[in-house]
Amino acid sequence: MPIDSTLIAGRPARWDGVLDWCQMLSGLGLILFMWAHMILVASVIIGPGVMNALARFFEHTGLAQVGGPVIFLVFLGHFLLAARKVPFRFEGQKMIWSHARMMRHTDTWLWLVQVVSAMVILLMGSIHMWVVLTDLPITAAKSAARIQGGFWLAFYLLLLPMVELHVGVGFYRIGVKWGFVKDRERKRFKKAENLLTAMFIAIGLITLIRFWFLSA
Amino acid sequence: MPRLLKFNIFRYNPQDPGSKPHMDSFVLEETDSMTLFIALNRIREEQDPSLQFDFCCRAGICGSCGMVVNGRPGLACHTKTVDLPGDVTLLPLPVFRLVGDLSVDTGAWFREMYNKVESWIHTSKSFDQSAVEERMDNEVAEQIYELDRCVECGCCVAACGTARLRDDFLGAVALNRIARFAVDPRDERTDRDYYEIIGNDRGIFGCMGLLACEDVCPKNLPLQNQLGFLRRKMGITAIKTLFRR
Ligand code: HEM
Ligand code: SF4
Ligand code: SF4
Ligand code: FES
Repeated sequence: MPIDSTLIAGRPARWDGVLDWCQMLSGLGLILFMWAHMILVASVIIGPGVMNALARFFEHTGLAQVGGPVIFLVFLGHFLLAARKVPFRFEGQKMIWSHARMMRHTDTWLWLVQVVSAMVILLMGSIHMWVVLTDLPITAAKSAARIQGGFWLAFYLLLLPMVELHVGVGFYRIGVKWGFVKDRERKRFKKAENLLTAMFIAIGLITLIRFWFLSA
Repeated sequence: MPRLLKFNIFRYNPQDPGSKPHMDSFVLEETDSMTLFIALNRIREEQDPSLQFDFCCRAGICGSCGMVVNGRPGLACHTKTVDLPGDVTLLPLPVFRLVGDLSVDTGAWFREMYNKVESWIHTSKSFDQSAVEERMDNEVAEQIYELDRCVECGCCVAACGTARLRDDFLGAVALNRIARFAVDPRDERTDRDYYEIIGNDRGIFGCMGLLACEDVCPKNLPLQNQLGFLRRKMGITAIKTLFRR
């Protein structure tokens, strides 16, 4: 059953390699962005003043106004590239689910984790970016007010693990796909990556708790 | 007290219009050092002579006994029943054409694949049968041998999510084949020649890195390392090709 790859239709096969590079590099760029993003947001744990100072720095240098939309474009580009591999037809989806169930193989399941988390991120990430970037400047007080409203707390409680899982699995996948991680190191690398993912989720949760109790 | 093993076996004969795919159960008493090869032969001998499955060497060499054992593709003759729970479910390998019950035709698939990757040494030298054979570095010879150990069982293909999603995907065994010729100094093909064959989504760029191939290969071929090696090699060739035109 051939996959439906009409998203970029009629491309000659010799572009496949270039597209694979772009997929990897856009993923890597987004990982680096997510790490920087976490430093900004988690700085509120130290104090709202630290977060405000960081946010001011990003706005004064224009990084937020330019960087924001650029990240959004990379985000969309990455989606289009990665979507080449996702079965959008029903038979394909049925096939890959039953295959994963049959195999009981972690790495096969991880791919499905990546696809499902990706769809959640596509929707919720877009909403999140829209809300934040249309309401500059970023301040700790505004973020706290949003989160204390309740709706955004639930929103982030779902988005956070999805993003961290996607980033974690993506990082692992790049390592093994491109041969940066050899078979002997695979187990250790996977363990370290899982630990990192758990740590990031924990930091994210602490950040949300901090926002929840932050008095403006 | 020996264990009683329950085998749930997929049954279907595509030649017989009256046959419907279903599962049959057989119960056997476990014996010492029992393998699935022994178990299936006993079932055929003692309980159902119509059961179809393939065996030849019963020593993990011919690659004909690949099947899905409790969800994982593997060689039946290589699988000891002590390593299995009391309930064993056996399915034919997916991807390949079903001959009947547990028997699939891997031969046709492999022949087509070998034609696609041109699985032979490409050389402009003509063969001189009286000449002394050219010497090869021992290290290179061992590297080639390591990749040549593949028994063509098809387990890596059946385990591959990509291969199941798209039937034009070459599979880890084919990519391993290319890696084998890429290290062979007698093969005069260049990276660009290999790129023509595997530098696309049918080949190395289609692989999504699920590594099921690596995890099921009964001969423990270093598939993960070969796939990584090829992706980097072909990735670099892709960039070079881009700038040449
Ligand atoms: C628009 C939302 C997103 C979608 C729909 C999406 C989709 C996907 C899919 C389906 C894959 C698997 C591709 C494959 O296995 O070949 C993937 C891989 C990856 N994603 Fe995403 N993703 C999204 C956002 C993100 C974000 C925000 C990050 C990082 C913060 C990210 C980082 C990665 C990485 C590093 C990989 C591995 C790349 C590779 O295997 O070459 N993605 N993405
Ligand atoms: S690593 Fe590639 S070839 Fe191996 S099972 Fe996964 S997708 Fe298939
Ligand atoms: S690479 Fe391994 S799993 Fe694949 S056909 Fe060869 S021996 Fe079988
Ligand atoms: S019978 Fe030859 S490999 Fe199993």
